[in-house]
Amino acid sequence: MLIQTTQLEKEVTTQDGTLHILQPIDLAINAGETVAIVGASGSGKSTLLSLLAGLDIASSGDVLIDNVKLSDLDEEQRAKLRADKIGFIFQSFLLIPSLTALENVMLPAELAGHKNAEQQARELLSKVGLGERLSHYPNQLSGGEQQRVAIARAFIGTPKILFADEPTGNLDSTTGHKVEDLLFQMNQESGTTLVMVTHDAELAERCQRVLRMDSGQLTEVARDVA
Amino acid sequence: MWHKISWRLLRHELKRGELTIMAAAIVLSVTAVLSLSLFTERLQSGLLERSAEFLAADRVLSSRRTINENWISEAQTRGIKTAERVVFNSMAFADGELALVDVKAVGDGYPLRGELRTASEPFGAEETATGLPNTGEAWVASALFQELSLVVGDSLEIGNSQFTVSRVLTYEPDVGFSVFTDSPNVLIRYDELEQTGLIQPGSRVRYNVLFAGEPSELDAYEEWLTPQLNEDTHNWRSIEDGDSPLSRSLQRAERFMLLASLLGVVLAATAVAVAAQRYCQRNYDVVAIFKTLGAEKAQIQKIFILHLLLLTLISISAGLALGWFIQAQVIEVVADQLGASLPAAGWQPYLLASATGLVSAVMFTLYPLLRLIGIPPLRVLNRQLVGTDKLRWLHWVASAGTIYALLLIYSQQWLLSTALFVGGAVAAVLLLTIGRLFIRASRQAGMQAGSAWRLAMAGLQRRAQANSVQMLSFATAIMLLLLVLALRNELLADWERQLPDDAPNYFIINVAGNDVEALQQRLNERGIVSNDMYPVVPGRMTAVNGVPVRDEVTKEAGGDEADTATNNAEQREGFGRELSLTWRDELPPNNVVTAGQWWGDDPQPQVSIEQEVAERMNLSVGDELEFNIGGNTFTVPVTSIREVNWASLQPNFFMIFNTATLEDFPATFISSFNLPPERKNELYDLFKPFPQVSLIDLDAVMEQLREVIEQVSIAIAFVLVLVLVAGILVLLAQVQASMEERQKELVILRTLGAPAKLLSRSVTYEFVILGAISGLIATLAMELSLYILQTQVFEMTATIHWRFWLLGPVSGALVVGILGRLACARLVRRNTAQLIRKLS
Repeated sequence: MLIQTTQLEKEVTTQDGTLHILQPIDLAINAGETVAIVGASGSGKSTLLSLLAGLDIASSGDVLIDNVKLSDLDEEQRAKLRADKIGFIFQSFLLIPSLTALENVMLPAELAGHKNAEQQARELLSKVGLGERLSHYPNQLSGGEQQRVAIARAFIGTPKILFADEPTGNLDSTTGHKVEDLLFQMNQESGTTLVMVTHDAELAERCQRVLRMDSGQLTEVARDVA
Repeated sequence: MWHKISWRLLRHELKRGELTIMAAAIVLSVTAVLSLSLFTERLQSGLLERSAEFLAADRVLSSRRTINENWISEAQTRGIKTAERVVFNSMAFADGELALVDVKAVGDGYPLRGELRTASEPFGAEETATGLPNTGEAWVASALFQELSLVVGDSLEIGNSQFTVSRVLTYEPDVGFSVFTDSPNVLIRYDELEQTGLIQPGSRVRYNVLFAGEPSELDAYEEWLTPQLNEDTHNWRSIEDGDSPLSRSLQRAERFMLLASLLGVVLAATAVAVAAQRYCQRNYDVVAIFKTLGAEKAQIQKIFILHLLLLTLISISAGLALGWFIQAQVIEVVADQLGASLPAAGWQPYLLASATGLVSAVMFTLYPLLRLIGIPPLRVLNRQLVGTDKLRWLHWVASAGTIYALLLIYSQQWLLSTALFVGGAVAAVLLLTIGRLFIRASRQAGMQAGSAWRLAMAGLQRRAQANSVQMLSFATAIMLLLLVLALRNELLADWERQLPDDAPNYFIINVAGNDVEALQQRLNERGIVSNDMYPVVPGRMTAVNGVPVRDEVTKEAGGDEADTATNNAEQREGFGRELSLTWRDELPPNNVVTAGQWWGDDPQPQVSIEQEVAERMNLSVGDELEFNIGGNTFTVPVTSIREVNWASLQPNFFMIFNTATLEDFPATFISSFNLPPERKNELYDLFKPFPQVSLIDLDAVMEQLREVIEQVSIAIAFVLVLVLVAGILVLLAQVQASMEERQKELVILRTLGAPAKLLSRSVTYEFVILGAISGLIATLAMELSLYILQTQVFEMTATIHWRFWLLGPVSGALVVGILGRLACARLVRRNTAQLIRKLS
């Protein structure tokens, strides 16, 4: 079991009282699985993602990543865990505007202290078809190209888990499909566990498992696994 | 690895212009401090050197008794140049005629500053003297040539010695303005003084030692010497000590430069503060991404601290280079214009400037950086998250502390720094409150207006909190600009009043009562405008409230004699000498009664005394003074005390009596007039019928005064430009920061189809309103500060500056409006898709 949650809850206190964003959630994801989390806006998908990735802290319950309990870790240790085991892809790409494509991809490897960051980054960029655009800044790239840089960045540390938040949400459908293909292809090659939040039913269908989030409650969608 | 990332970020951001405002703010603060302090330091030492001529030295020690030889040799061993100068009155005889003269016996090296000029005949062409008179010779002022009907080569008898009159003495740097007590001057060598036999115990002699040298050596010597001096018998002076005609102007100029530079520093620091805030806000996302990608806090700290330090160091270096360059250019212009060379400055300005840049960059970034590093990684999913704001008080404390520290470091004056700081803090709170009220009121007005106005008003209202902070920095910048501008105008106008083109450049003394009318007529015939004729009656003050005033020191003045009577007597010592007394019905121009009342038609005997004399002699209104004029003794009460503007080029008096008291005593008259230099040749002819009248030429002294004022004016213009640049930078940084806040809203409106014209108009209006309100508040604050500065710091009369009440709001609206429109124009030029992408 690579990812496991037990009675995971998230509440926020507002002026009008306590808001239960996540009802107690028990979830288990095996290594190498691809999982889509679908649901309406505001249903709590992104909150779950942020808890799984250790970006936020649960109100109660636990998240275990590779048998490490996140609630036992402080922010620094959680960052270290992300650096070692987790990659990210976001809807808004979240590239650093003042770094080139190459430097953006190198960044996680450098932060983790890898020696051959540049070599790895070059290879990954040519793999995603941007070998010629290494020194371009994000604002000189199209949306699809930016997301491909983000994919290259996500894979650089050969993470065990890849979290993707609406990876094609900002792209037109043709570009979106290309990016999806790339994502799944690279995921397959590296055997990474993929957890993806999406609105897109078609995209969700490409995952082995689909989970539906509804008002903070998570249910597994029964389907035939192809 | 982190240093690579840091350097990479910096390199790209610099290249892409993302750090321009922050860098510009630091560069400016360094440039401003460096060029101002280099320039003021060089100019000041230049001015001091120039004005040291009034003393003929950098420092003068004078006493009524001989000066300790050890003190002089100590100065010499310290590498300080010295020269003796002994001044006393004596009778001089020539060909059976006699006259009272001021003998000045000077040692080798005199004058240590400035020069002596002589001519071969009275009112002839003057030349710079290269040394002193030869042994057996004397140089004599032209007035004495008239009085004793001398020609060059005649013999002049002073005491037991005979001197050959070899040159006409036309200019002595240290002649000063003391018109009455100076009889025509005779200059002889110091080593011939003893032979004259005139220096006897009890003679009324002033011994002076002149000193000149490096400021640091002089300061060290001063520290060594002053504890050994007896305050009552020794007088240690420098040009800044306030009794020269220049000192007041110089002190004011110095205070102005200091103040303006301080304001410049505060402005530049404000620009750094605004830019630092933005610098950190821009990096919120970057930090969130770093954290998501697994960066540890320590890594992020190191990356951004190094980033900031590198940026600061690069900016400081650029600022130092730019500051040096600007200052060199300005100095060149000054030197070209005035033909003066200015001494080089030390290393302190460089240190001061670098420290200012470093301190403001570090301190103003401290809190924003703390917040930046505390940005939660979750921001990658929720862009509203900006981390904790609990330590905001720390930001205010750090910023306020930094500004206070900068003020203190720069001025090295507790009082001035604290006054400025507290005043600034009070003004800030007032500005914030008034700003909020204005914004609230403006909404009402806006409701009636067209759509662009309505949008602008709605925007103002919605961002009231942010806007009132922005308004604070707009208003501060505008206020400081107005303040420096107004103060400069006041100073220049004040100097012009003091030294108008037709300021008197000649004094005439010794005019006999029955010559007054004839002389006046002669002057009028030639179109020469003169001041009033003032009668002068020589007399002595013999007692105060029945206690006799001693003429000379008759016993050792020791510190153990501490009772008031003795102290008073010592302070009054010297006032028993002959004084020039006058009478008058009206208060003379440039005199202000500070205590008691000026007499009207009251015929009772009474006297009005000058304020400093009153202080030195512990006199107040109601004291009874006894005078002796030509053997007649009478007593008068002090009925008023006057403040006298000694820098005004008109006859000024310590003691003025009402007409009834003095008019029956025999008097001579004095006056002053202006004669353009090109008409100088008329002088001889003009005064030929009045051989006993003496003429004192002030042209050279006034020329010095004019030059100094001109230099100072250039300096002030320079300071003004720098402060202006600093102010504009603050405005620019603030407009740009606030544009970023407005960006999102603009994009939405644009996407919804709002025409570009409407958007840019509404933004422009919003900034115009902000600018106008800021300008108005700034004018109010400026008027208050100026009132305090003028009355407390510059000793000037406060006035209201009506023009500024228009200038403030209009210039505020214009400048802020234009900057806002420019910033907005860039936004609306892009197409909507680009805008949306930029936002996401």
